[in-house]
Order: sequence, then structure tokens, then C-alpha cells
Amino acid sequence: MWYAIFKFEIQYRAKRLETYIYFIILFLFSIIAVDFFLQGSLNTAKANAPHVIAKTMAIVAAIFMMLSSMIMGVAVLRDFAHRIESILFVKPITKAAYLSGRFLGSFAVLIFIFCALPLGMMLGEFVPWREDADLLAFNSWHYLQPFFLVVLPSLFFGGSVFFVSGALSRKLIVVYTQGIFFVVVYILTLVMSRGLDDQFFASLLDPFCFTTIDGLIQFWTPLERNTNLLPIAGVMLYNRLLWVLIGAVVLVIGYFSFSFNVVKNGLFKKHAKETKNAETRSTDMISVESLPKYDAESRVNVLAKQLMQSTIFYFKSILKETSFWAIVLCAMIIIFVNSINLGTTFGVDSYPRTYLIVEELQELSLIFFFIILVFFSGELIWKERDAKVDLIYDALPTNDFINLAGKFFGLLLTYFVLILGLILSGVLFQTVSGYYQFELDVYFMAFFVGVFPFLMLFSVVSFFFQVISNRKFMGHILVVTFFLFTMMLEAFGYSHGLYKFGGDALATYSDMNGYGHFLTSYSWVKVYWMAFAVMLFLVAVLFSVRGTETRLKTRWAIGKLRLTKPIVNLGLLAFAVFTFSGGYIFYNINVVNDYFSPSSQEAYRVNYEKTLKQYEYMAQPKIVDVMLQAELYPSDRNYEVEGHFILENTHNEAISIIHVQKLIDSQIALKEIQFEGGASMTDEHEDFGYYMYELNKPLLPGDSLKMSFTQTFTTSGFVERGANTQIVNNGTFYNVDHFPTFGYNSKYELRDNDVRDGYGLEPRKTRADINDARELVNARTGGDGYEINFEIVIGTDSSQVALAPGKLQKTWTEQGRSYFHYKSDNPMINFYSIVSADYEVMRDQWHPHDETAKAVDLEIYYHKGHDYNLDRMMNGMKKSFDYFDTHFSPYQYQQMRIMEFPRYAAYAQSFPNTVPYSESLGFIMDIDDDEDVGMPFFITAHELAHQWWGLQVIAANVQGRYMLLESLAQYSALMVMKEEFPAEKVHQILKNEQDRYLLGRANEANREMPLSLVEGSKYIHYGKGALSMYAFQDYVSEDSVNMALRRFISDWNGFGGKLQTDRYATTKDLLGYFSEVTPDSLQYVIEDLFETITLYENETTAVDYEVIAANEFKVELTVDAIKYRRDSLGVESAIQINDWIDIGVYAEGEDGEDELIYLEKHKITDQMTSLEIVVNQKPTKAGIDPLHKLIDRNRKDNIKEFEFL
Amino acid sequence: MSNLIITNLSKTYSNGVQALNNVSLEIRTGMFGLLGPNGAGKSSLMRTIATLQEADGGTITLGDIDVLNQKHEVRQQLGYLPQEFGVYPKVSAEVLLNHLAILKGITRKSYRKEVVKALLDKTNLYEARKKNLGGYSGGMKQRFGIAQALLSDPKLIIVDEPTAGLDPAERNRFYNLLCELGENTVVILSTHIVDDVKELCTNMAIINRGKVLLQGNPLKAIDQLAGKVYRKTIEKSELEAYRKEYTVIADKLLLGKPMIQILSEHDPGDGFRPFEAQLEDVYFSQIFGNTPYHKSA
Repeated sequence: MWYAIFKFEIQYRAKRLETYIYFIILFLFSIIAVDFFLQGSLNTAKANAPHVIAKTMAIVAAIFMMLSSMIMGVAVLRDFAHRIESILFVKPITKAAYLSGRFLGSFAVLIFIFCALPLGMMLGEFVPWREDADLLAFNSWHYLQPFFLVVLPSLFFGGSVFFVSGALSRKLIVVYTQGIFFVVVYILTLVMSRGLDDQFFASLLDPFCFTTIDGLIQFWTPLERNTNLLPIAGVMLYNRLLWVLIGAVVLVIGYFSFSFNVVKNGLFKKHAKETKNAETRSTDMISVESLPKYDAESRVNVLAKQLMQSTIFYFKSILKETSFWAIVLCAMIIIFVNSINLGTTFGVDSYPRTYLIVEELQELSLIFFFIILVFFSGELIWKERDAKVDLIYDALPTNDFINLAGKFFGLLLTYFVLILGLILSGVLFQTVSGYYQFELDVYFMAFFVGVFPFLMLFSVVSFFFQVISNRKFMGHILVVTFFLFTMMLEAFGYSHGLYKFGGDALATYSDMNGYGHFLTSYSWVKVYWMAFAVMLFLVAVLFSVRGTETRLKTRWAIGKLRLTKPIVNLGLLAFAVFTFSGGYIFYNINVVNDYFSPSSQEAYRVNYEKTLKQYEYMAQPKIVDVMLQAELYPSDRNYEVEGHFILENTHNEAISIIHVQKLIDSQIALKEIQFEGGASMTDEHEDFGYYMYELNKPLLPGDSLKMSFTQTFTTSGFVERGANTQIVNNGTFYNVDHFPTFGYNSKYELRDNDVRDGYGLEPRKTRADINDARELVNARTGGDGYEINFEIVIGTDSSQVALAPGKLQKTWTEQGRSYFHYKSDNPMINFYSIVSADYEVMRDQWHPHDETAKAVDLEIYYHKGHDYNLDRMMNGMKKSFDYFDTHFSPYQYQQMRIMEFPRYAAYAQSFPNTVPYSESLGFIMDIDDDEDVGMPFFITAHELAHQWWGLQVIAANVQGRYMLLESLAQYSALMVMKEEFPAEKVHQILKNEQDRYLLGRANEANREMPLSLVEGSKYIHYGKGALSMYAFQDYVSEDSVNMALRRFISDWNGFGGKLQTDRYATTKDLLGYFSEVTPDSLQYVIEDLFETITLYENETTAVDYEVIAANEFKVELTVDAIKYRRDSLGVESAIQINDWIDIGVYAEGEDGEDELIYLEKHKITDQMTSLEIVVNQKPTKAGIDPLHKLIDRNRKDNIKEFEFL
Repeated sequence: MSNLIITNLSKTYSNGVQALNNVSLEIRTGMFGLLGPNGAGKSSLMRTIATLQEADGGTITLGDIDVLNQKHEVRQQLGYLPQEFGVYPKVSAEVLLNHLAILKGITRKSYRKEVVKALLDKTNLYEARKKNLGGYSGGMKQRFGIAQALLSDPKLIIVDEPTAGLDPAERNRFYNLLCELGENTVVILSTHIVDDVKELCTNMAIINRGKVLLQGNPLKAIDQLAGKVYRKTIEKSELEAYRKEYTVIADKLLLGKPMIQILSEHDPGDGFRPFEAQLEDVYFSQIFGNTPYHKSA
């Protein structure tokens, strides 16, 4: 009996076309799945590395869980839907046979369909765009192992839940909405993991294994990543067993709850109420016949009222679905569950500004909107047919357009409900957080302008597919496939608004600049697609099924009858709008502005390099004097600059041809270039903005000349994306890069070496070799900068303040515009920015230690309302100046300004006496002084440190450059922190930096470099830089490090340093000073920290203590310390340890928290070392390197607690 | 009042079944009965008239309206009660009828309220109007069906096997309602219950396998058979022999014994007794009399 049912189920599915279509869709999708999900995040991992396959399979299995609901959910439900349950259940079959047969039968079918996943992925290895270099040798076990380990248990769990929920609820929509609970469970596990130090629980509870896999491989080296299979042990195994077990429990519950009766009762629905047979005729009735003849209203009125009625009717019908409210509720709750993570930087939350809440809501609610869209559009299209009232409906004299439009608008209204729910929960969340600036306009704008158009467009698509396919499930699959396809186009860089359905999302909102100018292009693209959607909708109207004819051909025959004049007119109107808006968009994006597809952009770069590379390193003069007269027009997003440079020939040969390189940007025009003494243009590459001028009189060595020019930045029309975010309505911020440079600029070269290879170009070095003489004389890439005198006059809108480096000489108004004149008192490097916005100002002063020196003016220019952390920043400036002035050298300027700029970028950058500082970085952080790291303070200190490291010491543009700039700034900021805050805060930062380093190196696409040869990887110069510098001062003392730095700066200061060289400083120079202050016994530390890649694997294996006397405890501990070194080939191997390493003992402090009562460096010379330490307090924990000063991939085992018997 | 004229209507389904084969009918005001066994093509014909199905060939006109191409115009005059239909379980009769009334074009609120009230009253559902349709009995549901079909004063009413599942009392009430309507409307009623047609219809057609076998007044049809129907009680084993010899139009059981009815121009003797022709005999004579015998009905 069981077998018969099992067989029946399989045969049933085998005959269904859907089964094969699911298989094929999954198969095709699997071929590109790796590229689709993981492209860009693979780094060194090969595209078919075991963990890549496993991760991809996990993702695909999660996404296609939908298939599982369609196969498993309906296995029992089908009998009810087709109303054959009464026939079936009276047959002599047992419940067990029936349920198990159905379950195993459909599960077998499900497994069959999912076999498409490994098969498709295997085939994916052989697609043409995969290059052998990106692949390991084919190994089928790499596919099968994760299939069995990851996919099958997930399918079993999901299948069980869908099967049981379908069998018990007997409602399809309940089966569908399960998906939401999966999502909620998933997000919950993610949230739970954040609070915890280790990810064990998140890894255990992730039903799809994403977190589990990520956690396992997180610190794997590239070699391990490309060889190791996921271990079938530990948390991975527990996770899988757990979910299989849960699936099994669900099945058992399902078995006992399933009622083998026709009439369903209990669990989901109450008995239908007894029919009351009171059908007495009332007395005061008017009979139908006696009613006057009906006088119909005008056709337009009738249609309008019918549309209104249908809309509300269908809207209400969705509101009656419990599942709808379940979705809304989940969506509303999720912000509360997830919000812990609001705008986190170094574990610090931001104030719940409305736009942050909105962004969080948008991101999290996407899935809920999508579920409603996909499923309820299907339900609405099928509503009459599912309830079997279709024949009554279809014979009504209603208009086909009105019918479909009623459903469509009804669906749209349900989005309103969800949106209002989300806004409500956002406001509630803000209130709960004690934040009361609700900015409802930002909420409404974001949802009704930013989200709603997409919902409309995709709803039309969903209606279209439902109507055309005329199969509910097929419609669902088609919509999801279409959605994925749209995302894929985007992922491959094909994002032009004219062919990417729906166009782009609304741009980032900034408190400073609002939605800025982005609304224009956004709106046009939406108009274009709306017109398209209207046409699509009309096609759906023509083909919509009315009556019993379902064949497409017949439907078309009927559809032709529906081509009434209004429909045709509407279609033509939509077509006209579509064509016109499309033309207008094309005109703006492709004609008025330059549009580069990804490939044309590559080709352009290749051409640039092939044409002009010959001029690289050709002797060109250096800029020594800059005078600019800038007129900003923020509301038009234009500027005009008249300026002149003084150029000096610093070479030993005369220069007769000057190569002017304009910034390659079609919005920038460089005009009226004139050279003192005259010059004529001999050659030009207009495409590349590259012009060569032959001087009438060659510029002799040591001589200088004046070059004058006019430059304009013009905004016309709009662009697709990547619209400039520098010259904006409020918050303009652009820098020296906008202005002309001299000679070939390698920054335009293609960077990806694989892509370069495809174009026949040599691999490109990220950074020049530390001994490269040609780059040692450059401070920046394309370095035409030198120490300059700087003067600028900026005119801007009268509501704005314009800022640039230098002392404010004068400010005035002229013709309704404000003017600001800045001049640098002393020479500075050729690095400046121009900023303009509507600002509030906070002012203060800092007094140098040298009583004779003038006070420094401190100013923070901020957006009104962003005043939460101004005191912290101001304090940061003062404390930094105190420290740097004392320990390094005097500050070189008389003012320091911080200027807030819009959150289009999230960084702060140091220019001479000015620091543009992003809106998103610190201004709105909600800092709890007890718990959080004072990030605004730290960032401020870091940026101010650049006034020394970068603006006094100028680093040569070679390997190690960023150590001189960033690692030293990190060190300086840490030292300021250390003076101002408790040690825990510093350790908190160091812990974050260590994670940044370990994660960064695990994902390094090229070769990891030692710190002193860093080529530009942030995880090295920021992350490892902070760690190594901190460890270094811990070994040799802060004073010694500061002495070394003081000597370094005194010799290498670009402005009056003692050493007058013809090159800039490198890390070799710095390490020399370090070496001088390091005792011989610790010289090895310099090698370990800076010159090599050295890691430790420290562990405390045993701890014990005995009481020697009152307040005297002897602690015995055994430590296991291994020291690793990575050689030049990237192979890590253990080396002899002979190091001084911290040993620490903790006791319970007064406040009940752990307190470090002993911390000393011990010389460790063997891997296993036993130590005895006497302390005067009862110890609680002890271990090696308790503060994690050394780099250790597994930090958890450093400390061990004493076991109390 | 305009007549419904069906000319040479044909329809073959994609699975090869010929549902309508050159059907021609003229239907005037009054009740028109459509008789035929299951699968004869009754519902196909009715759905085609109700604009829900396409025809391969032929025409249907309702007065000046070309039914197959002017669907909207037909629907404006149509009241249709399909053979099988469902309801939204979570909606009350009043709400759904009101909704359907708007879709039928009765957009003036005050008038619509009256109509809905009157129709619910007419169909005896007024007391139960607030109740969700999910809780309705089969009869109540069927009456709701007729209430919706009567919305907007239709000129053409099509009811497809409306009495299936109704108890005798409800059936009578239902027919009384239909009769009232037949006075000035075209009402097409399909059924396989022969007596219903006799009781109600002034005109009828018998169709089988997509073909019209007979069209006309039921009483006249009976008259044509007058004196031609004979019956006899026989043994079961004799059945085949009788079939070969006579035009057997019915075999049924009488007190547990087989009894056959035959069609004969003159008294066949052989123990047969004359029997007063019923409409049923007309029906069976059309279905079985002119075609090779297949199976007992």
C-alpha cells in the first residue's frame, strides 16, 4: 500500500511538465550561480574551490526553497484542492502509509529536481568565460560532498516543514508564507551571533549554513581555502544534525496531528457554524418587479465606480488573509530585532536618524514586499477561479481592463498597509530609543518615491506572467526568475536605465544634500518604465482568461475583440510616453553626457595606456605655486576656475614640451592654457584630455614659468549612475585631482591583471618597488606636486560658506554671492580641497606649549542638527595637538578646520589644516562614554596626526608609503586615546584592528606584503599597522618610539627638515630610527613586526594554583606557543621561538569584573613552557598574551580559567 | 422581445471531442428547456451563449447583437447561473451581491440597495443576508446564484442544471421563480430531468453528442408519440432478444422485475400493453430510438 502511494506520487510528478521546468530552471541557474552570488568576493579562492561550491549550494538551496514548498507543500494539499479527499480517505489505506508514501514520493521528486544543482554547477566549470587560471582541477566529490552535507539536510528540513504545514493547514498560502519564517529564523540567528564573541550559536542555528560556512573558513589561508573540504565534524555536523532532527520532529508532530478525516477540525479553523434556517419572508419588502426601471449612469462614472469597487473588494480580500498580517507583523518586528546593528562602526551605534532607519527598513522589508508581490498577485489573478465563481464573474458586463486593474490597484493598496506598518515601527523604534525627530517626509519619500514605483513595476510583471502562463506556480517561478535576471544584469555591470527593468534605486539620502539632483534621472527612468508597464499590462488585459478558453491562440482571438478604442488609445499613449521618455533619457545619458558600458570603459583605459605610456617619467616641471579664483554655482552644480601655476624645472635638463593632462571627465573643460613666454600646441589627444605644448623658449633647469588656465565643470542633463557626488547643491567637496597635471598618469590604467592580460598588457604593479628611483621623487601617483605656496579666492552661493586650506584673509559679498579668500602662511604640499555648504560653526582655540607661539584657531563646520559629537571632536583636536606638539614637532599652521560633507563617501581626509569629514562618520554616532569607543575622538586624532605624517613628513610613492602615512597616524591616535581613555577602549580598538587584519589577509587577492613594504592594502597599513606599532611601543616603550619619530620628523620634514635630499622618505628610513632606539635583545621585534609576516599560535594548556600563605598564591601555567613566518612564496611555517611574550594573571576586582593583577613579559624559548608566578590575590584566570598584542588567529584559547573543585 | 437565434454552431475541443455539431435553434421569450444526457453539449452550448466559450463556426444572434463578437453587449443583458459554482466563503451574501451589482453596472447606490434587498427577499435569503456564504447550504447557495443572475433586469437568462442538489421543496420554489421570469424574458434551462421541462417549458430541444435531435413544444412532441409507446414486464434473460426485435427506448425495474418500453407504430401484441406517452419517452426515443443502442440510461 505504502509503495503504491509512493509510486503514484512519483508517477504523478513525472507526468507534470512543471517537474522538468523546475529542473531546467535550477540547472540553468546553477551554471552561473557561482558568478552570480560570489563574483567579486572570491579573491584568491578558485571558482570551484570546495567551500565556494558549498556556499553557493547553500545560497541556491535557500533561494529555491520555494520549489520545495511547491513540491512538498501540495503533496497532501492537492487531494483537498481537487476535492478527492472523500474518495481517497475511505479507501483501505492507513494514515502512516498515506503520509509516508506522499512524503517520500515527493521528497524523492524534490531530490531529483535538486540534482540539477550539482550537475549545473559542474557544467558551470566548462563555460567559456571561466578561465583555467580561476579553476582547480575538476573533482566531482567537491560537488557531491556539499550536496550531501549542506543541501540534502536543508531540503529535508524545509520539505518536512512545508509538507506538514500543507497537510495540516490544507491552505496553499500558509505553505507559501513559511518562507517568511525561514527568513525570520535566519535573521534571528545572525542577530544572536552579534552579541556573542564567538559565532558558535549563530553557526549552529543557521538553517542554511551560511554563517556556519563563513565562520569555518573565516581565517583560512588562501591555500587552505583552495584545498580543504568543509569538515564533517564540529559545529558543521551539529548544525546539520540539529536541522535534520527538527525536520524529523516536525514530521512526527505532523503525523499525530493529521486528521485522516474529510472534515478538518482543530488546529487551524473552527467548525463551520450551524446553519440557521430562518428564512421567513419579511413584510415591508418591495418586490423586484415593482422597482422602477434603472437609469444607468454615464459610462465613465460606471467604470470609475466599478474600478473603485473592485480595488477595494480585492484589497479587503487580502486583508482577510491571516498570512498577510503575519507578513506585515514580521516585517514590523524585524526592525526591532535587527536594529542593534544600526550603522555600526567599531561597535558604536548611530543616532537613529530617520534616513538610517529608513535604509534599514528598506533593506529588511524587501523580502516581505516581494513575497506579497509574488504570491498575492497570483492569488488575485486566480481568485475567482480558485473560488469557482469565475463563470459568474466572467459573464458580467464588466470591462476586461477594469477587472485586471481592480486587482492591480487592490494589490497596490496592500503595499500601503505594509509601508505604513513599517513607518509606524520605525517611528516606534525611534521613540523607544529616545529619539523624537521623526521626519515623516523622509519616511514617505523613501517608501512612496523610492520603493513604491518598483513595487508597481514588478507587480505588473507578475500580473503579466500570471496571465500569460495561466499557471499559478509557473507564474511565481517566472517572476522570481525575472527578478534574478534583472539582478544579474546589474551584477554584470549592465545597468543602463533603458534596458535594466525599473532602472536604479533612489540614490543615497543625505541630511546635508537630501536626495540632491538624483531625483531627476530617477523620475525620468521611472516614467519610461511605467509607460512600458502600461503596455505590458494592456497585453495582459488582452490575454487574460475570461470563460473557459485557455489556449493562447484562442485567447488572442478573443483578445482582438478587446482592442476597443480606449484600450488602443491608452496603448498608443503609453507607447508615445515610452518612446519620448526613452529618447529623452538616451539623449541625456548618451548624447549630452558620455556613457561608458563596462567594456567600453575598459577599452578606453587600454587605449590610454597603449597610446600614452611612452611619455611616462618624461621630465616635466613641478608645480611650486598655485593661485586659483574659483566660482562655485552649487544650485547648477557647476564651477568655473581661473588659475595659474608657477612651474619649476627641477630636472637637470631643459624642458621644451609640456604635457598637460586634464582630469578625464566629460564635465570638465580645460581652456585658455597659456604659458609665460608663449607656447604652441604640437600634439593633442582630445579623447584623453592630453595636450602637448612646445614652449617657445625651453625651460632651463632651476627656472620657472607661469602657466594660466581656465577650467569649467558643467552639469548638463543627467547621467545614469555614478553621477558626480562632489559638486552638489549642498556639500560640495572636491580636491586637487580636478586640476591639470603634467605627463602620463598611471592612475587611469586598468588595474585587474587578469583583465589586462586579456588586452595584452603587462601585469601592473600596485606600488613601485621601494628602491624605484623614479618614484622615490614622487609623493603621489602622477606626482607633479611639490611644496607649494597656495592662495585661493572662492565665490559661492550666499547661503554657503566656502573653505580651503590657508588662513582666511578676507570675506565679502558681491552681487549676492559670498567670497572667501584663503592664503597659506607657509608652504604646503600640493594637496588641497575646496568645500562649500550651508554650515553652522563651532570655534575654539588651542594653545601650543611654546608660550611664544600663536594660538591655533579650531573650527568645526557642521550641518545644522549634527551637533552630537562636536565636543568630542573638539576635545580630540586639542588632545591630539597637545600630544603631537609635545612628542613629535610643532604644528605648522595657525588654524585647523573640520568640515562635514555629505555621506556619499564615508571617510575623513586630511588636507593642510583642513579635514573634510563625512556626515556618516562620527557626526551622528550615539556614543555611550562608558561602553563605546570614542570613535569621533579617535578619527579626529588620526586625521590630525596626518598633519605630521603626510603633511610634514612626505612619503615617497613606493612600497611602504602607507605605513609612513597611515600606520604612524594610527599609532599617534592610539597614543592620544591611551592618555585620554581607559586601557579597555584602546584594547577594543586593537581587537577590531586585529580582526580587520586577519579577515583582510584571508581574503587577499594577491600576495600579502609585510607592513614595511605595504602596497596599498588597508588591512595591512591600518589594521596590522595599528597592532604592530602598538606592540612595538609596548616592547621598547612609548618614549623611545616617540624619540625615534621625533628624530625622523626632524630629519625628514619636507619643509625645513635637516636632511635635504632629492627624494622623499621611505620605511627603510623610518626603521633605521626605530632600530636606534631598540635594545639589541629586542631587535628581532622590528623584523617580526615590520619586515616580515609573523604570526603566533599561543595557547594556555593548563593552569593551576596553590595557596602558599595568606594573600600569597602560586600560579602554575603551561603555555603552548608557536611562531609562524610566511616566506616570500606565501608558505607559512613554524620558526624557532625566542620571544618575550606577556604572561598575565587575573583576579576578581572590586567591581566584580576581571582585573589584571599580573602582567609581565617572559622569554619563551620552547613551544611548551611551564611557568610559576606568585601573586597576592586569589587568581581567576591566567594565560599567555592576554591582551592580544601579538597576532594570533585563535585568540580564545590564550587565557584559561582556574577550575575550582 | 428579441429572439435568440443559433445557426450552425459547431465546437470541437482540443482533445478531439465534438461538443457542438451544427447546432441551430431559435429561442423565443419564455422558458426554453434544453434536455440531454450528461456530456451531450448542453453546458458547452450555454457557455457559448453566455460569452464564456468560443465557437469554431456558426453564429448566435440575440436581436441585433452578434453574440460571438459583441460579448459586452450580450453580457449587459445576461443573467447566468453556471452548473457548478463556488462563492467566497468569507463574504456575506449581501456584500457579494452588492459587489456583483456594481459590476453589473448598477452604480447608483440608493437604487442598488433596493435591488439587492428585493432580490435577497425574492430568493428568500433576506434573513441570512449578513451571513458568510461559507455557511450557506446547497439550496441557499443555489438561490444566491439565481439572485445574482437576476441582477440588472436581464433579457436573457441562462440557468445550467440549477436544481442539482436541491430538495424537492426547494426545487419547486426555484421553478416558481423561473416561471415568473419566463413571462417576458428568454430563459434557457438545461436539465436532464425530463419532467422539469414538461412542467415549465413552452419550448424545448433535446440534444445529444452535440446535435439537436428535436426542437419544439413538449406537449406537441408527446402528441407525436401518442399511441406508439408500449410496455411489458419481462425476464432479465430476455432483454437482449427484445432489443433486437423492438425499438427499446427504456428498460427499468418495476417491483424488482425488468420492464421495457418500446416504440411501435402499431400494437406489437406479444404481451405488450399500450402506455400513455410521457415526455420521458420522447426523450429516450430521441436519445436511443434513432441511434444504435449503447447502454441503459
